[in-house]
Amino acid sequence: MDELLQEFISETQETLEALAGEVVAWEADPSDRDRLDAIFRFFHTVKGSCGFLNLPRFERLSHAAEDVLAEIRADKRSPDAATVSAVLGVMDRIAELAEAVAIGAALPQENDDYLIAALTEREEDAAALGMESMEPALAVARSNGGQAAPRTIRLPLSLIDQLMNGVSDMVLARNELSRKLRERIGDPELESAFERLSTCVADMRDAISKTRMQRVDRLFTAIPRMVRDLGRDLGKRIDLTLEGGDVEMDREMVEMVVDPLTHIVRNSIDHGIEAPEKRRALGKPETGRLKLEARQSGNQIVIEISDDGQGIDTGRLVDKAVAAGRLSPEAAARMSEGDRLDLIFQPGLSTASQVTAISGRGVGMDVVRANVERIGGVIALDNRPGRGLTIMLRVPLTLTIIPGLIVRAGGLHFAIPRAAVVEILHDNNETLVVAEVGGAKIATIRSVRHSMIDLEDVLGMEKPAQAGPRAIMVVRSATGVPFAMGVSAVDNHEELVIRPASPLVMATGVYAGMTLPDNGKPMLLLDAAGLANAARLPNILDDRAAQQAVEAEDAQGVVEMVAALRFEELSGERRLLKLSLIERVEDVDTHLFGRSGTRNYVRLDGRLVPVANDHHRFSGTKVAALRLRDGAREACYPVAAVLDIVDMPAMPDMVTMHGMLSGVAVIEGEHLEVINPFALFAALPDEAILEKRGGRCLLADSEDGWTREILAPLLRQAGHEVVLGLPSDAAVDPQDVVLFTGADLSETGELLGCRVVHLRATPRPSSPQDGSIYRYDQDALMAAVAGSRA
Amino acid sequence: MNRLYLLARLAGARVAIETREVEAVVKLTDISPVPGMGAHVAGLSALRSRVLTVIDVAALIRGQPTPIAERGFAVIADIAGHSYGLMVDAVYDICQVPEGELPLRGQLDPAWLPHARGLVEHEGQPHLLVSLAGFIEAGALAQAA
Repeated sequence: MDELLQEFISETQETLEALAGEVVAWEADPSDRDRLDAIFRFFHTVKGSCGFLNLPRFERLSHAAEDVLAEIRADKRSPDAATVSAVLGVMDRIAELAEAVAIGAALPQENDDYLIAALTEREEDAAALGMESMEPALAVARSNGGQAAPRTIRLPLSLIDQLMNGVSDMVLARNELSRKLRERIGDPELESAFERLSTCVADMRDAISKTRMQRVDRLFTAIPRMVRDLGRDLGKRIDLTLEGGDVEMDREMVEMVVDPLTHIVRNSIDHGIEAPEKRRALGKPETGRLKLEARQSGNQIVIEISDDGQGIDTGRLVDKAVAAGRLSPEAAARMSEGDRLDLIFQPGLSTASQVTAISGRGVGMDVVRANVERIGGVIALDNRPGRGLTIMLRVPLTLTIIPGLIVRAGGLHFAIPRAAVVEILHDNNETLVVAEVGGAKIATIRSVRHSMIDLEDVLGMEKPAQAGPRAIMVVRSATGVPFAMGVSAVDNHEELVIRPASPLVMATGVYAGMTLPDNGKPMLLLDAAGLANAARLPNILDDRAAQQAVEAEDAQGVVEMVAALRFEELSGERRLLKLSLIERVEDVDTHLFGRSGTRNYVRLDGRLVPVANDHHRFSGTKVAALRLRDGAREACYPVAAVLDIVDMPAMPDMVTMHGMLSGVAVIEGEHLEVINPFALFAALPDEAILEKRGGRCLLADSEDGWTREILAPLLRQAGHEVVLGLPSDAAVDPQDVVLFTGADLSETGELLGCRVVHLRATPRPSSPQDGSIYRYDQDALMAAVAGSRA
Repeated sequence: MNRLYLLARLAGARVAIETREVEAVVKLTDISPVPGMGAHVAGLSALRSRVLTVIDVAALIRGQPTPIAERGFAVIADIAGHSYGLMVDAVYDICQVPEGELPLRGQLDPAWLPHARGLVEHEGQPHLLVSLAGFIEAGALAQAA
């Protein structure tokens, strides 16, 4: 009899779970006979079984529900919202009763008559209200169609656990055997047999772990019902979509995710989706949309909950945080949008303007995040203010295997979830400063201050002296405030099979579970949030942006270091130049360098770039050159050799401003002159001239030998573009210069609208009016070509 | 009342444990300590692929942890879904005691008071009847305190 009862209870509970969604779906579409039949069958079965098992209360309730449903089946009655609520009420009561029977408690003595009355009372006024009240509060769409259940058998969970343990033992035995085999002389036959055994064991382990898998559907079963009830309570209409219910995840994981998921859905309905009137005013469809989607991505399950509600008002969050004294107004002003959004995970902060029965009761997103992170998951938000919110939960496929770091402290090994560790440094790292004040340790890492604890102190262990540096880990606890934790060393990174520790051990609050590594020595998994709690670390929001700004200012007062390039000048001196000015370093063909007037130029990428130092002739065919840029202008700085990149003080150790140098800096004991970038760029020719250099030199006498062989190369070398002969199509730019030696072409030049330079073969001008230039007077020639262009 | 009892010595006293509570008795090997716990939790120990939480019952009763060298046997029990190993000084016998549980007599040491449930007499020797689950509960209480 006992067994029969157990069977009945567990079957009833399971069917109830599956049916909750069906009832809601049926309400949405009352013409769906299949669903109605399924519900009817359930009550019928319960009624039949409990008569046999002598459970009168079950019988009465299911009988009443069955009667009503039978009427609906016979079209004598319409399934209005009140009826559905009453049916759901009866189902809830049956669930309560089943629970009570299962744990052997006394049946709760509530008045079933009330429920039964609720079922029947509509009969009179159903006709009066008719179909008006038929508007369903919720429409459910399941993308993966029918509910055809695969063939299954029912197994007690303990049996599966036993199997699991058996397989684990087998793996250990296999490992031991493998060790023993390695000690002996290799026997290929034995080895291949052993290989086969290994493969079998591995397969078996995989198969067994699959028995622990469950469809995400199970996670979703309670959602439609909840959405419906909440929607009705709050007067909101919600269109719920569930997708990916066939994705499988670990049974235990499903159980761990239920609460966070429920909470998120509640939030979404309560705070996210607006009331229909408001939605109408905003130009949104009256029915809010809520979508739950599960999918597998690698060894993670991604569950996405998205709504088209109002999103998170980060401004209000910040106001609340400021009002609660967790954040200074200045700090708030400096926060990025992402940081603001992150405030939602702060305990006690909620955008709900008032506490409602549904959410905002102090159990907030901080708890959700803590729960998700406890199982090695991650929670991410995609906030679209005014348009909706998407919350993404990423949880590992199984609860039991997580990537972890093995750390050593006080001579013992501990594991910590990889996801909780932000970074690892050695305590001799230059970016880390550990200060102690009033017993508190503060680690400043790259100008961000963290509370610092030593794992040994938190756990009350001796801290053995050690030769090497200790490792400092930046650990992010579930509440999101990272802290630094010192350990002896970080030893390893492993996939850990995590199992729950006994309640005695869990009660300390600093452990999240335990694992049994291959060496057979059990190891404890640390709980980051628990450690922070145990150490009573201040859980105050760290104003990172502000601190960084302040630190930067401080640093300027002391010694601000900037990266600089150490190089050797062509003249042999070693000098420094601020790295940020150097665009790149490249080898330039020496023939590209040239001189125009007193200026040196180099032709780079089809442009003429001024040379910043006084060099234009080099030995060899290539020279290393620094390409400099001050934002707008560029310059080329040929050097003998580029040595290395060093940190130099922003202010030279000795300031001596003269010429291109701003002073002397001492780097690694070597005195180096520092180039003054200001003087360097100021000494460059005007940008305007540079740009106008684009003009061409048109050589009118293209047939003339001197023009071709002597003048043209000279101009080219000076960086001018040279065209032999006047363009036939008269495509002459006012920037162009026409040079001629023979017949006077001044008029032609005027016609063309550009300047002309007349060169003569004799040193002396033929007449005082002669504006021509002696052709070997290079300076005058260059000045005429370049200068007159200004 | 023909019950089977495991007779052992625990914190210097003869005790009897109902065998339905006992899964096995093992000789303790390596115990990995659990820092941050009271003395009554000796640590974790692996039994094949299972991990036992080893309880130093003597520490629970007397308040003094058992020196590592004197660690002998552990009684393995599965309590509320978790495996525990309860340290005992020595294990004598498993035997049937026809007369079963007898009421406590005499003035009991206050340290034993919360743990002793009754007496079990075997071959003329009285044994304190103790419950393994009771020790775990007491351990949880000791921790909360």
